[in-house]
Amino acid sequence: MIGFSLSSEQVSLKKLAHEFAEREIAPVASEYDRTAEFPWPIFNLAHDLGLVNLSVPEEFGGPGVSVLDECIINEELSWGCAGIAGALGMNSVAALPLMIAGTEEQKRKYLNRLTIDREVASYAVTEPGAGSDVASIKTTARRVGNDYILNGTKNFISNGSYATYFVVFAMVEKEKQHDGISAFIVERESEGVSVGRKEDKMGQRASDCAQIIFEDVRVPKQNRLGSEGSAFRIAMKVFDRSRPVVATTAVGVARRAMEHAIDYARQRKTFGRELGQHQAIGFKLADMAMQVTAARWMSWHAAWLTDNGQRNTREAACAKAFAADACMQITCEAVQIFGGYGYMKDYPVEKLVRDAKGIQIYEGTSEIQRLIIARDLLTSP
Amino acid sequence: MDLKYTPEEERFRNEVREWLQANLPAERPEVSESENMDEWMAFLRNWQRKLSDAGWAGIAWPKEYGGRGAGVNEQLIFTEEMARAKAPNLMNVSIGIELVGPALMHHGAEAQRRRYLPKILSAEEVWCQGFSEPGAGSDLASLQTRAVIDGDRFIVTGQKVWTSWAEYSDHCILLVRTDASAPRHKGISCLLVDMRSPGITVRPTRQITGETEFSEVFFDGVAVPRENLVGEINGGWGVAMTVLMHERGTSAIGYQIRLRSELDELMELAKRIEKNGRPASADPLIQQKLAQSFIEVEILKYNIYRSATQIARNGSPGPESSIIKLFWSEMDRRQKEVAMELMGLRSQLVRGSKGAVDHGRWQRAFLWSRAGTIYAGSSEIQRNIIAERVLGLPRG
Ligand SMILES: Cc1cc2nc3c(=O)[nH]c(=O)nc-3n(C[C@H](O)[C@H](O)[C@H](O)COP(=O)(O)OP(=O)(O)OC[C@H]3O[C@@H](n4cnc5c(N)ncnc54)[C@H](O)[C@@H]3O)c2cc1C
Ligand SMILES: Cc1cc2nc3c(=O)[nH]c(=O)nc-3n(C[C@H](O)[C@H](O)[C@H](O)COP(=O)(O)OP(=O)(O)OC[C@H]3O[C@@H](n4cnc5c(N)ncnc54)[C@H](O)[C@@H]3O)c2cc1C
Repeated sequence: MIGFSLSSEQVSLKKLAHEFAEREIAPVASEYDRTAEFPWPIFNLAHDLGLVNLSVPEEFGGPGVSVLDECIINEELSWGCAGIAGALGMNSVAALPLMIAGTEEQKRKYLNRLTIDREVASYAVTEPGAGSDVASIKTTARRVGNDYILNGTKNFISNGSYATYFVVFAMVEKEKQHDGISAFIVERESEGVSVGRKEDKMGQRASDCAQIIFEDVRVPKQNRLGSEGSAFRIAMKVFDRSRPVVATTAVGVARRAMEHAIDYARQRKTFGRELGQHQAIGFKLADMAMQVTAARWMSWHAAWLTDNGQRNTREAACAKAFAADACMQITCEAVQIFGGYGYMKDYPVEKLVRDAKGIQIYEGTSEIQRLIIARDLLTSP
Repeated sequence: MDLKYTPEEERFRNEVREWLQANLPAERPEVSESENMDEWMAFLRNWQRKLSDAGWAGIAWPKEYGGRGAGVNEQLIFTEEMARAKAPNLMNVSIGIELVGPALMHHGAEAQRRRYLPKILSAEEVWCQGFSEPGAGSDLASLQTRAVIDGDRFIVTGQKVWTSWAEYSDHCILLVRTDASAPRHKGISCLLVDMRSPGITVRPTRQITGETEFSEVFFDGVAVPRENLVGEINGGWGVAMTVLMHERGTSAIGYQIRLRSELDELMELAKRIEKNGRPASADPLIQQKLAQSFIEVEILKYNIYRSATQIARNGSPGPESSIIKLFWSEMDRRQKEVAMELMGLRSQLVRGSKGAVDHGRWQRAFLWSRAGTIYAGSSEIQRNIIAERVLGLPRG
């Protein structure tokens, strides 16, 4: 069961993704960080190479790679730029609820729009007053004949300004709490949907985050995903697949910071020695290597479990929290190793600190992961 | 050991408090420092003129240079009261008042003190510190900006970097190499340079926060009168050490008080931010972290009291100032991490975003806290100093 080598297909996927990141993403990363524009040219090129919609199966025109493969690819793309990787990766997340709970017809229609028509979709759960605590969402869906009427506001919705449809979580029966939430596919073009101003973010600026407002939006019943009240369970399944991948966003950013730090520690001299020869610095590099390696294996393991049909909730939470926290620490240490240069925008490491912070927040904050891990330990040790 | 203030000191505190109550500026510019520096500086200049006219600008400075002639304890009390009143800080305090002042008082000629010191207190002149170079930060003694003597002047050529406030400065306290053949520490001199001299180019540099608080400064054959030499020729290293000791020690008074005020604001924020339907301040994890931050503020305070006592007795904070520098800069990072955690998602929103908490000031503080462990001697360098000079361990 245990094997520590990648298959030859995985090796070539990794190579493809790395070369793409090196050639197409890294050189423009700081420009997109400055302008905070959506990276359309890169999005289109990535499409050509099959690096978008990774989770979508081949029968719907996607690459249909495993979660582990997605982890391998995402680490490389995030090594190039976490913001751009986020913009490219969002479709894959938005597609998951469709794959988990969609009917054949829903899948054919909406997944093909991502793969064949190259559209963008968003996953809309978070609200101004509800993030970690999904059961407290205030967006409502009221049944009226064969339709639902949606009202509410979602915010921080990645790719929200460009999405042509959203997977929206809304409360149908409040008293049922978690079991009162349903998921809907909502067209951007529907009457009553508006996209608010996009947010000015500290990091991952190439991946757009917007507010989406729903005012008496009529959604036909056939756009509901799964049965009524099943959305929370759908979301948990989404997390089992998405968290290992998000963990590798952290691995990619952390590895980039580590590589810069190693290069710099070999070039710069103080007190007659290369920085790396000061043990205080050499040990920081060693800690980085330990953490990057551990984080990568943890994410791969969590991915492997779900690919093999096994429960991975605890492992995915461990991987996500460990990788995100390690990434924050490593990027900060990289700035420290660069000294005054680290603090300057002209050098590459300050961006990595800003990019790292968000990873500790989305897809469940580091605290929420600990909550999940603790709960799991205490109930099924 | 007696950690109480004397009755005279308490009287002094009352006097400060009353003056501040009566004189605090009624209105402040709406914009932040980073948005409109000119407006800010005009505002601060006005405020500081008021302070210095009333004798509050240089509490521990001698009267003949515009100071009040009081001691370090009064300085401490004054700073505490300024924070309590939420008064705007003095301008250029961390460079002009805290670095250039002590350097000139210890090493400067009488004429230099009379020429420069009063104008620092009245905020008529702003200073920057030209120490670091592209190839010389921690290892300051490897600096290469050169000054050659040419009659009654020096001709300076070279480059400085990360020079805070250079863009707004009238003068620079500059370290230069005046003898390339001497051992590294013995060929350095300290000059006072007019920033408007021909041959100086200032190029502002963007920082992680998006601001341009520091600059690169290029010197291309800049003439500096010989009388602007501080102390002896090739005696600049001693001046630099005085500056660094004050940068690490005395200036921590302000940091401690800032960290305390920011903790108060954080607690305020925790009450305003909702988490799971109740204020974040009721969350046990957040409470633990705020309590920890309070403990650290207190530790810092007592260390500063100890250092103030040492300054009062010996006139200098000594190498122990490295402990304080290390501690405040690292606790600042921890405290701002708590701020980010508190805000959750909204920690991502910067100034200008609709949902940004407190106009994005906490992200800025979080990013800015990354600088404190680098400037004024990085954390690693402080630990080396503590090991070698406080603990007496051999050089690593
Ligand atoms: C770059 C970015 C992209 C995003 N994209 C999307 C998207 O596409 N779609 C979407 O729906 N959402 C998205 N989000 C939102 C994200 O999923 C939420 O921010 C996240 O779930 C946290 O919710 P919150 O911000 O409301 O924090 P809150 O839930 O308000 O939490 C605030 C703080 O309290 C802590 N906390 C909360 N509850 C507990 C507890 N019980 N115990 C201990 N600590 C606790 C949290 O860890 C956090 O530190 C995105 C966020 C970011 C930063
Ligand atoms: C916001 C900001 C404002 C500043 N303002 C000014 C200013 O106004 N005037 C001015 O002159 N300078 C200023 N500086 C520069 C600052 O003093 C230097 O950045 C600092 O001294 C570190 O030097 P360096 O950047 O060259 O890093 P380096 O000396 O190259 O060090 C790089 C890394 O190696 C570590 N290191 C170096 N030597 C050792 C060793 N022997 N053992 C263990 N670790 C070691 C350092 O700790 C650091 O982590 C400022 C810097 C910042 C960030």
